[in-house]
Amino acid sequence: MGALAAAVAVGLAALGAGIGNGMIVSRTVEGIARQPELKGQLQTTMFIGVGLVEAMPIIAVVIALMVMGN
Amino acid sequence: MDHGAPIVHDVFGISWLDFNLSNVFMIIVTSLIVFVLSVLGARKLQMKPTGAQNVMEWILDFVKGIINDTMDWKTGKLFLPLALTLFTYILVGNMLGVITNGVYNGDVWWKSPTADPGITLTLAAMVILLSHFYGIKLRGGKEYIKDYFRPLPFLFPIKLIEEFANTLTLGLRLFGNLYAGEVLLALLVGLTTSGFWGFIGGAIPFLAWQGFSIFIGGIQAFIFTMLAMVYISHKVSEEH
Repeated sequence: MGALAAAVAVGLAALGAGIGNGMIVSRTVEGIARQPELKGQLQTTMFIGVGLVEAMPIIAVVIALMVMGN
Repeated sequence: MDHGAPIVHDVFGISWLDFNLSNVFMIIVTSLIVFVLSVLGARKLQMKPTGAQNVMEWILDFVKGIINDTMDWKTGKLFLPLALTLFTYILVGNMLGVITNGVYNGDVWWKSPTADPGITLTLAAMVILLSHFYGIKLRGGKEYIKDYFRPLPFLFPIKLIEEFANTLTLGLRLFGNLYAGEVLLALLVGLTTSGFWGFIGGAIPFLAWQGFSIFIGGIQAFIFTMLAMVYISHKVSEEH
């Protein structure tokens, strides 16, 4: 049961992180296409956004690792 | 992954005081490395910088850019040493666990100090406490209390919860990233050392994951420092 719980947690975390990061990066690419001179600033903001969005999925992975042995 | 931790229980006879000696050791190592690198980078200052002084100036400019993004420089220059310390300490701490993990006698001794939730939550709690302290010190107690009721008074409970949520996510984000990276590194090492086919299958993912861990370590140090400055600027700057 622990392995099943861990698998569900990691799967949902990957789904959430994938969708979130995909939306962030796609908007960033769109922004760069509109204004190429802002590439550096947009890239920095993108990394900050990715770091923030990935916080909860990473915590889900840590919980999955904790329950994996039960 | 299932290595023990060298914990000394009930120090000085106090029943709730345990020390994880691996954490103590790694904190000392990280602090020493940051100290030595900073001293070496700041000797024999010249007007035209070369070598190590160039690297230190680049790091300082980078941190100055982080502070400038969140508050004006007149208030911000007070926090430059804090941001610099946080950034270099977390960066060096993250790198130490990627290079190697040391196990002695069944206990893990060498790992990232930031891969322990106690250490990252302590750093986050200190940052939030400092933000409150500087909010009161730089703007006065009355303005600090009135800020809880801006822009709309009924948001007061949400603002209270926001403090705790900020502390938790700031600390757990750093811990989660580093801990998951270390667990996967341990798993990949287990695969690579488990025989001929294990080595063939595991060598390239191992290298790729180490590179990715270095990248993530840098990004997480940057995000921790940037968010620390954002939280401080919320309490300290006037225009909120």
